[in-house]
Amino acid sequence: MAEFINLYLIPGIAIGCIYALGAVGISLVFAILRFAHFAHGDVMTLGAYIAYSLVAAFGWSVYAALPFALLGGAIACVAIDRTVYRPFRRAPGIIVVIASFGVMLVLRSAIQLGWGVDVLAYETGIRRPLPLFGDIRMAQKHIIIIAVSIAIAAALHWFLSSSRMGKAMRAMSDDADLARVSGIDTERVVRWTWLIGGGLAAAAGIFAGINTKLHPGIGWDLLLPLFAAAILGGIGRPYGAIVGGLSIGIAQEVATYPWIGGDPLVPPAYKNAVAFFVMVAMLVWRPTGLFKGRVL
Amino acid sequence: MDITLYGLMMYGLALLTMMAIYGVLCLALNLQWGFAGLFNAGIAGFFAVGAYATAILTAPESPNHLGGYGWPPLLALPVAMALAGIIAWPVGRICLGLKGDYLAMATIGIAEIIRLVFKNESWLANGTMGISTVPRPFESLGQPWGNLAFLALVLAIVIALYFSAERAWVSPWGRAMRAIRDNETAAAAIGKDVVRFRLEAFVLGAMVMGLGGGLSAMYFKFIGATATEPLLTTFLVWVMLIIGGSGNNKGALLGAALVWLIWSGTELFTNRLPAEWITRSSYIRTLLIGVLLIVVLQRFAKGVLPERPPKRID
Amino acid sequence: MVGGYGGMDILNGVDITVDTQEIVVIIGANGAGKSTAMKALFGLVALRGGNVRFDGADVTGLAPNHLVARGMGYVPQERNVFRNLTVRENLEMGAFLKPAATARVMAQVFDLFPVLAEKAKQPAGELSGGQRQMVAVGRALMAEPRLLMLDEPTAGLSPLVMEQIFERIVAVNRAGIGILLVEQNARQALAIAHRGYVLATGRNRFAGTAAALLGNPDIGQSFLGG
Repeated sequence: MAEFINLYLIPGIAIGCIYALGAVGISLVFAILRFAHFAHGDVMTLGAYIAYSLVAAFGWSVYAALPFALLGGAIACVAIDRTVYRPFRRAPGIIVVIASFGVMLVLRSAIQLGWGVDVLAYETGIRRPLPLFGDIRMAQKHIIIIAVSIAIAAALHWFLSSSRMGKAMRAMSDDADLARVSGIDTERVVRWTWLIGGGLAAAAGIFAGINTKLHPGIGWDLLLPLFAAAILGGIGRPYGAIVGGLSIGIAQEVATYPWIGGDPLVPPAYKNAVAFFVMVAMLVWRPTGLFKGRVL
Repeated sequence: MDITLYGLMMYGLALLTMMAIYGVLCLALNLQWGFAGLFNAGIAGFFAVGAYATAILTAPESPNHLGGYGWPPLLALPVAMALAGIIAWPVGRICLGLKGDYLAMATIGIAEIIRLVFKNESWLANGTMGISTVPRPFESLGQPWGNLAFLALVLAIVIALYFSAERAWVSPWGRAMRAIRDNETAAAAIGKDVVRFRLEAFVLGAMVMGLGGGLSAMYFKFIGATATEPLLTTFLVWVMLIIGGSGNNKGALLGAALVWLIWSGTELFTNRLPAEWITRSSYIRTLLIGVLLIVVLQRFAKGVLPERPPKRID
Repeated sequence: MVGGYGGMDILNGVDITVDTQEIVVIIGANGAGKSTAMKALFGLVALRGGNVRFDGADVTGLAPNHLVARGMGYVPQERNVFRNLTVRENLEMGAFLKPAATARVMAQVFDLFPVLAEKAKQPAGELSGGQRQMVAVGRALMAEPRLLMLDEPTAGLSPLVMEQIFERIVAVNRAGIGILLVEQNARQALAIAHRGYVLATGRNRFAGTAAALLGNPDIGQSFLGG
């Protein structure tokens, strides 16, 4: 039991937090701008590398670099939206998706050019997991990832439920045309959507880098689980995206537990296939997600 | 690099062969996207099925992977196409009800699952190492004649595909397909079996993608996880079709040629960069291609050769 | 005004004027261009000719948030509430441009539609058709418009609820807000209106005071259902 919790459940929750942070941005962008943002994974990578540069340049801890990288991801997204996506506001959604392929290529190659392709780490050395109670142990990185994610989720909840801009974001994801005729400055809402989506993506990228190692493909590898999480939670449902991210993260890890006999139920190499499978299955059988999001 | 006449000729042959292979993939994508409006972002999956099938059927026996069947390459290609089609059929049955972005997400997910299988089932295709003993037709002729003959083969395939696609575009089948693409409800209302037409376009396109994969495996004499990266097999093909002009078979071929010229031509330039930059040259290419895609989308959303509007009946 | 969607003109020459303090109703058969005319006034349909003037200024082609800032309010016919937002949040969205006035104006809206105060914390999607219409009108009022444009506010409502809505519209007008109304229920709408326009095939067909339109036998037969 302790083994299950220590080696499967807790890492699953940590990965689920990473998915949740990324998926919230995808879900909001999908609902407000009506397109699947394929470059979101690479925004995560960008955030992770910004943090790496701060760590390398100033010798900071990665956690100190986190707020700055968050801001960097947020600003990068607003800049990308201005230069690339804005001219397509009235174009059919698929054109923007293809434009996001372009952004994906540009971001990834820029990262490879700027930071190289070697696998990097925020810190070296191995830390022993901390004993919590009984046989339950938790790695320090997992504690921090989960705690910070909860804090971010709480801040997001406050923003969406209590701030004027947060409510306007929900309104616009509910019905963008109505938001426009109600006098809501939709371009400002769009800007805030990118700020939040980009910031959360940067946080997710950094956590992914802390959880394993940093490499230029780290965001792309997470993109499909993020889509899976956003769809599972229902498009335009930020809380759904959080639940979706956690479910997929936990499902992926727990699926590799030797439930039957001595071998992993799903070979660890196929962990990601669990997420892809959940995504395809949800798309096909219940595209509104668990929480009745929209189908755009 | 070798700047003799012979060297340039070999470079030109390689350039044209790759353009032609990408031409096959672009025509395939045009069949799905240009004809039927199906947003398939999983080209890599069908490409992989065709490529691995060709490799396994033709490669000599090896303890590292399935193989040793000794099929003649030209017989393996139709089988590779058929296998890609057989995989595409259930995928299409399940996924084609999805619209736009949702279809893209579903197909990319399926493509990644297919890639994961080839990557991890080492008994099948030697895992990440891949199969590097794929025979190439005419290679016994030696250089350059073997290369030339292979180019001729690929070109012949492209030409055949192009003319079939052109015929299909103006045929009742092609017209029905475009009608469904532009207004599904209206097409269904005049009695077109929307689901069947879509599935046909999807499966046919996937088969041609499999063919492209098979040709690519033969040309490189190799297939492995790196050769099915979505960057090279999915996104580059999309860039080509969009830049060339979707809905236009000539545009598809032009896009393949143009983008590959840029992709590969920049290599000539970047090879002259200082040594530390050479390793990064491929990233500069990707960057350029990405910027080009965005600029083309913003300036000429319909590509260099846009779809021709149907002739007016006066 | 001349205009329409995607190159097809639906409006071929419509001319509508509303004075403050007035209730003006646009009636006409289905497809006459009533809703399109209203959307054109609010910049939602591209005009090929003509212009929209508000308060003496040319506002043709301005984005909706600018029109709202200038004092125009618009309530679309369908999907006119944010279903996943509470009633209170719906109203707050109406005051997006003037957040400081939210509390004061919301109190006025609650005075006008007391039922909204009761349901303030409920998602708007859960309300009945009539209540949703009140949320939609209330949201538009939150921006303190001087002209309120309502596209078929009584569509699909029972006669009793329709009565209530019309009565509230009159109350809004008494507070000094000009009302432009597109209506299917022409006879009832004319009963509360000062003036009316009859549109046919995208043109002005008749215009006059509500009483004159009600009394005109031609209009009675063709547009008021006998």
